[in-house]
Amino acid sequence: MTTAAPDSPLAAAPASRSRRASNAGPMLAVAALALLLYWPVMLLANRGVAQRALDSGADLGCKTALACATQLRNPVIPAPGQFLEGFRALTIPPTAPTSAPYNMLVTGGETLLGLSLASLLGLILATLLVRSRSFERATLPWLIASQTVPIVAIAPMLAVLLGQYGVQGFLPKAIIAAYIAFFPVAIGMAQGLRSPDPLQLDLMRTYRASPGQVFGLLRLPASLPYLFTSLKVAATAALVGSIVAEISTISFSGLGKMLAENSRASDTVALWVIMVYSAVLGIALVALIGWLEKGVTRWRPAR
Amino acid sequence: MATRAVSLPVAGPRPTLGVALLTVATLGLLGLCVLLARLAQSSAQAPVAGWPWLLGVAALFVVGAAGVRQVAQGESRAAKIVPAAAALVLFLLSAEALLRAYNVPTGLIPTPTHIAQALWAARTVLLLDAYYTFVLEALLGFVIGALLGLALALLAVRFRFLERGVLPYAALLSSVPIVALAPVVIKAVGLGWSSKTVIVAITVLFPVVINAVHGLQSASPLYLDLMHSYAASPVQTFREVRWPAALPFIFTALRVSSTLALINAIVAEFFGTEGHGLGFRIQIEVGRFGLDIVWAAIVVASVIGITFYLLIQLLEQRTLHRRV
Amino acid sequence: MTQVSSTRPIVSVRDLGMVFPVPGGQTVALQDANLEIMPGEFISLIGPSGCGKTTLLRLMADLVRPTSGSLSVNGETPDAARQKRAYGYVFQAPALMDWRNVLSNVKLPLEVMNLPREGRDARAREMLKLVGLEKFERSYPWQLSGGMQQRVSIARALAFDPPLLFMDEPFGALDEITRENLNLELLRLWRETGKTVVFVTHSISEAVFLSTRVVVMTARPGKIEGVVNIDLPHPRGEDSREDPRFFQYATEIRELLKKGHA
Repeated sequence: MTTAAPDSPLAAAPASRSRRASNAGPMLAVAALALLLYWPVMLLANRGVAQRALDSGADLGCKTALACATQLRNPVIPAPGQFLEGFRALTIPPTAPTSAPYNMLVTGGETLLGLSLASLLGLILATLLVRSRSFERATLPWLIASQTVPIVAIAPMLAVLLGQYGVQGFLPKAIIAAYIAFFPVAIGMAQGLRSPDPLQLDLMRTYRASPGQVFGLLRLPASLPYLFTSLKVAATAALVGSIVAEISTISFSGLGKMLAENSRASDTVALWVIMVYSAVLGIALVALIGWLEKGVTRWRPAR
Repeated sequence: MATRAVSLPVAGPRPTLGVALLTVATLGLLGLCVLLARLAQSSAQAPVAGWPWLLGVAALFVVGAAGVRQVAQGESRAAKIVPAAAALVLFLLSAEALLRAYNVPTGLIPTPTHIAQALWAARTVLLLDAYYTFVLEALLGFVIGALLGLALALLAVRFRFLERGVLPYAALLSSVPIVALAPVVIKAVGLGWSSKTVIVAITVLFPVVINAVHGLQSASPLYLDLMHSYAASPVQTFREVRWPAALPFIFTALRVSSTLALINAIVAEFFGTEGHGLGFRIQIEVGRFGLDIVWAAIVVASVIGITFYLLIQLLEQRTLHRRV
Repeated sequence: MTQVSSTRPIVSVRDLGMVFPVPGGQTVALQDANLEIMPGEFISLIGPSGCGKTTLLRLMADLVRPTSGSLSVNGETPDAARQKRAYGYVFQAPALMDWRNVLSNVKLPLEVMNLPREGRDARAREMLKLVGLEKFERSYPWQLSGGMQQRVSIARALAFDPPLLFMDEPFGALDEITRENLNLELLRLWRETGKTVVFVTHSISEAVFLSTRVVVMTARPGKIEGVVNIDLPHPRGEDSREDPRFFQYATEIRELLKKGHA
């Protein structure tokens, strides 16, 4: 988790250590432990529900609460068999409009489009902030305040509004994702545009560089690491934004729509499967940005 | 890439001119709003807006922006505070005037005054919602998550195996969207507020663990060597070197989490409640096109969010004895 | 044996003063400075921190403006000299751009000044060869040692062939051994290129070893205490440091510094 605070010491040092190779052993051990614990925890969590179902006289096709714990239609935690069955049902065929992979791609696409919009907007805003002090003084307090405001709360309303004005399909979700993501990007970019060393600015002055050259040759490249750091923070937020937008609009696809439908239908197994897919999407988005970062900022030491 | 906001020649700070411009703009916009309100009252048919209204508002806004530009010059205290306040007033007045001039239905985009009215009318409901969302869900979850996170971080630093086995998962899981977790947790824990508390605690946990471990390991090797040369006990080394080094990192995590906590409590409420909470209110009222209440709820959430953030920041300043 | 070849000074400083406001008053960074630098000279400005040596250099480079007095660089105002790119500047830190490799860092001024695209690579390689880094042109700054980074920044300052080279404690952050190597290299560069160098340092031995003249400055208020001609033969090498006159000059400078301190 990279932190979002504009003045955080972590935001200023976008580097992180990677020791994946040496971590493989302990990580596998922890994963194995989690798998081992899964079965008893699942039984424990489901037993109460099963007992209540039995007490009310439902015919579950099993005698004791413990035996029924793996066969509930709506378990608290699905049994491994149910989990696998749920995965199969929601994954195959992957191109069907009801399959989770297809909807994951839809949501991912919306989020990426939103992030691109956010980067563009963020760059423009950051440039304004750095160029004009009166603009900065008039708006920066509100921009920072807006980071502490639950912007997601506006998403349902924005979705309805955009629908009223005829913006439909892919776009409203991308706009909402962008709306949520562009503040952290703008703050990060502004910090990045200001990051050049005073000596480097003096150097450009001795070269009689134009303001455009100072921007293009110094400020913009210096801000790129900050852009990617803030994009990683923004990616998760934007993903939440597009999923909430999908829930609040009449959507026909996307993980948000699947979540809403299965939440209404109380299909717990499906909810678990969608949760895993959302997790994969979130991790994939951050990984994609990390991969882009590596490609674009190739000058930095390998990490 | 040069972008000029207003191309007005600025020859040194002229705050008097700025205040004059701001006064003209504010009074002008205020006058427009009152005029529009009168017009709407007098004629049953609302005034049909045309481009003159837009032009008028835009002109006054530009005058105001020029005023802000003048006022923002210099290093005085006023030059740092007034522009932000003036910008907000200008924005609110312009929005009010435009929304009234173009007769935008209140159900679609309520004017600032409508929101203020809704805020007052629904104050008891909103305060109760805020109590559920903030005190029971966000704050409690924040405290639980932060304490658990700190405990886990201490364990991870003490036992290298945990650091290498658990921390990578924590980093991975922090990029999971909270909305996907919410339905599952609510199904498991129930519709009451405690399920949202659990969700908030989980989301606060990850940044705290990661930053705390990072901070505990950030202690300078020089200081550690110094403590070693004193033959200090591990507890002493921890108290004198590791913990102080970790505090700035922990506070960064707490500050970020303070906003996350409220946001996530609201989002989690979208997936089921027992009829309380700001998130519930927003969702219900959006469905009924009661957008003035929605905005009022957002205003309440924003005020709480900013206050919570500032309180954590104050605590940070007090603890670290420095300006953050 | 100073290398004064022309009678017109390349830098001329007259009654120069620089005052800047601080909370509760003002600080006199430089007072009544007078100095003439001839083409081809190697001038060192030496003194304790706060003596205005960096300020004087920044005034020559038009990075700050004086509050009194006058100053001409290359026969013009500092501003005009900067517009004509009359000098290269080497800072305390290398100030290389992390995202550019060594070659591309040296090319930076050529790009900013819109010099013909074709010649840039050749010129930058020539400069890298001059500082002995031709094998590292594809490396990024973080892959180089501090001394190598500073050599890149010298190559960068020389890339557009300015008549003047301003150096502000360029080796201050380096260890003694690296510093002495770079001193030798700098002297060779100076002889080969015939540039006029103005060099800020706080090391007496460095100033004596490098310079044709040493300008001794003292603090509070910052002013020029005296100028010492260094009459050691060129080309200088390690043995110059053992010359008895080397110690005489060092002592003379030390006395001047003490005088200002008393």
